[in-house]
Amino acid sequence: MQSTDPHPRAARPAPAQRTSPGRRLRQALTAAIVAVPLVLGAAACSGEDEGTTVEFFWWGGDARATMTQQALDLYQSKHPDVKINATWQTFDGYYDKLATIAGGGNAPDIFQIDDNGLAEYAGRNVTLDLTPYVASKKLDLSNHYEGLTAYGQIDGKQVAVATGENTPAVIYDKTKLAELGVDEPKEGWTYDEYITWAASVTEKSGGEYYGTMDPSSDYKALWLWLRAQGKEFYNGTQLAFTQEDLTAWFTLWQQAREKGATPPADVVHEAVTGSVDTQLVVSGKAATSFMWSNQLAELGKATENELAMVPYPGDLKGQWARASTYWAGSRATDHPEVVADIINFLTNDPEAGAILGTDRGLPPNKATRAAVESAQTDPYAKATFVFENGMADKFGPAPAPPPKGHSGLRNTLRDIAESVTYGTATPADAAAQFFTEATAALSG
Amino acid sequence: MAVSTAPPPGRARTSVPARRKPADARRRAEGRAAHVFLTPWLLGLLAITAAPMLLSLYLSFTNFDVLSDWDQISWVGLDNYERMFTQDPVFWKSVGVTLTFALVAVPLKLAAALGVAMLLNRERRGTGLFRALFYLPSLLGGSVALALVWRAIFSRDGSFNAFLDIFGITGQPWVNDPDWALETLMVLAIWQFGAPMVIFLAGLKQVPTELYEAAEVDGAGPLRRFWHITLPMLSPVIFFNLVLETINGFQGFTSAYVVSDGTGGPVGATMLYTLHLYTQGFTEFKMGYASALAWVFLLAIGAITALFFSTGRFWVHYADGDGR
Repeated sequence: MQSTDPHPRAARPAPAQRTSPGRRLRQALTAAIVAVPLVLGAAACSGEDEGTTVEFFWWGGDARATMTQQALDLYQSKHPDVKINATWQTFDGYYDKLATIAGGGNAPDIFQIDDNGLAEYAGRNVTLDLTPYVASKKLDLSNHYEGLTAYGQIDGKQVAVATGENTPAVIYDKTKLAELGVDEPKEGWTYDEYITWAASVTEKSGGEYYGTMDPSSDYKALWLWLRAQGKEFYNGTQLAFTQEDLTAWFTLWQQAREKGATPPADVVHEAVTGSVDTQLVVSGKAATSFMWSNQLAELGKATENELAMVPYPGDLKGQWARASTYWAGSRATDHPEVVADIINFLTNDPEAGAILGTDRGLPPNKATRAAVESAQTDPYAKATFVFENGMADKFGPAPAPPPKGHSGLRNTLRDIAESVTYGTATPADAAAQFFTEATAALSG
Repeated sequence: MAVSTAPPPGRARTSVPARRKPADARRRAEGRAAHVFLTPWLLGLLAITAAPMLLSLYLSFTNFDVLSDWDQISWVGLDNYERMFTQDPVFWKSVGVTLTFALVAVPLKLAAALGVAMLLNRERRGTGLFRALFYLPSLLGGSVALALVWRAIFSRDGSFNAFLDIFGITGQPWVNDPDWALETLMVLAIWQFGAPMVIFLAGLKQVPTELYEAAEVDGAGPLRRFWHITLPMLSPVIFFNLVLETINGFQGFTSAYVVSDGTGGPVGATMLYTLHLYTQGFTEFKMGYASALAWVFLLAIGAITALFFSTGRFWVHYADGDGR
């Protein structure tokens, strides 16, 4: 390298002696190599110096965000050494994001999950085994409802803790039914009675408004319909129902459609794929939606009309005390003790229970549930308690949470049921197609 | 590098202690600098593109499921590829949907781009404004916001049906109708013809005006001039746009994902290949299978592009040289 530079540039190095482009470049690169880790390192250190940081991820809406953050703030005020980094989003896309970050090996230390995803994650060992913390009472489930605790166990391990209890419920538009002069749906109806009633709603409205949502593509409606007949959806990782059962289910709703009880396929499709505000009972296109009991308040906020709920039609033994959602920990967490402690706080602490209310279903802790119930002033929340309490002695035994492969199976059921609603397949052909594809979905 | 290592004619001058650096040494230094400057990009290419691609090739022969530990991965040979062609009915459906989408949307998009480019080729008052306006939609690209707007406009209660209603036409639930959902997405793709339009405009500017003048003197009408002058002179640009837009067309994902809420519905009408791949990988956790799907997709697009290049010599004319 010669010191004479044929291309003097604007930027001059500090030393008096002029340096060659090569050396200057090396200096710049060295500076970069030194500086980048310094900056990153500083960022990393600042996190560690303040104590334990826990990533916390959940789905929901604004109201839930406020409550959840309040409860987490309360925990942090009691444990100043713990910092909880809470992130949330709406349900749409939640599982996509969770899968992406968990797949990258960065699963949040604590995350919300429901029975649709639990086995997928627990079966692949993503979740933290909470059994030892339950045994040591660090995570105290002794005062929780047993059915809910059991619904968080997979292969004998406590892989998640219920955030609350809910039950499938038909949510209906009380105001609109009164306007039309139709009776409200009743608990204990058979599906035939329910569909006849729905057809009469459509008729009374002059065909502008439909009696019921068509839930034929909804796994939970099918599940309850099967259970009401003493059958099951899954037996371990296999389907527990037959092709004839599914044909009968599709036929039931095809006849409902022919009677005018349900809206055209595209209207049903909007509600199947959409979130709370596209539900037909909210968008004012049908009198009922097949939902969960804890969603009454949320749906109620989205419409001016008064809503109410009844159980799904059919024998009530089809229902069970279901964990609406769970808290689960990540097996890769650096702070399993803290994870267990936060879950313990959220599900057992009376103050936290009071803040969280019935948003994620009725509290799993018996004492908290009683306290929240007596303090309740919101009419929809009260209605939720009346509903769940009324169901309590009618529940059938809880099934195991759906197995690994359930997400794929739900997609298959949705697409194939829609081929019947859109009239591109007969119930029998669609059922046959489902059984062909279901095997692939469950094989993993 | 081969150039700079060849002994230059003025080699002897290096032995003279000159003020000027010899040409080859300077070139070598510049070459070195170029490599240093390229390093970040090369590292990026290797780490962010090449390595994951090779990894996905490996994964396509395994049962990798995203969430399990790496030591749970097992080699399944050609199972994933076999399943695709024999046991996955959605695979064939998605191939059909994707081919339909590309075969209709790409030619129409190019035709729209060329047509508007020709209209906007002449300098008139406001041409610049119109060019910008027609280009605008493609700036928005495959954005989620645009797909959401599309879904709202083309639903049963959407503004498009309200517009049709003025003329007494009863509309369809477009995006929620299996017979129309894909067509609605095609319209969205075609509407974003700005990028090929700009390239066509540049190409049109290159066509010598003498050719048109000569043809006009010979009595050629506008159609003949288009067929015998514009199209052949523009064929390299058409070729370029065709290859690019075909690849783009096959890779469409966002609009189908957003409009169908990730379901590919109604009744699989918008189940594009990419959407099927995504669903398999990220909602059903069959990442090994999704990787196999991706590789078959890559090979298919590669084959189609190769087909274009092999037929290109029959219809693409390059003005400089013999062009064939």
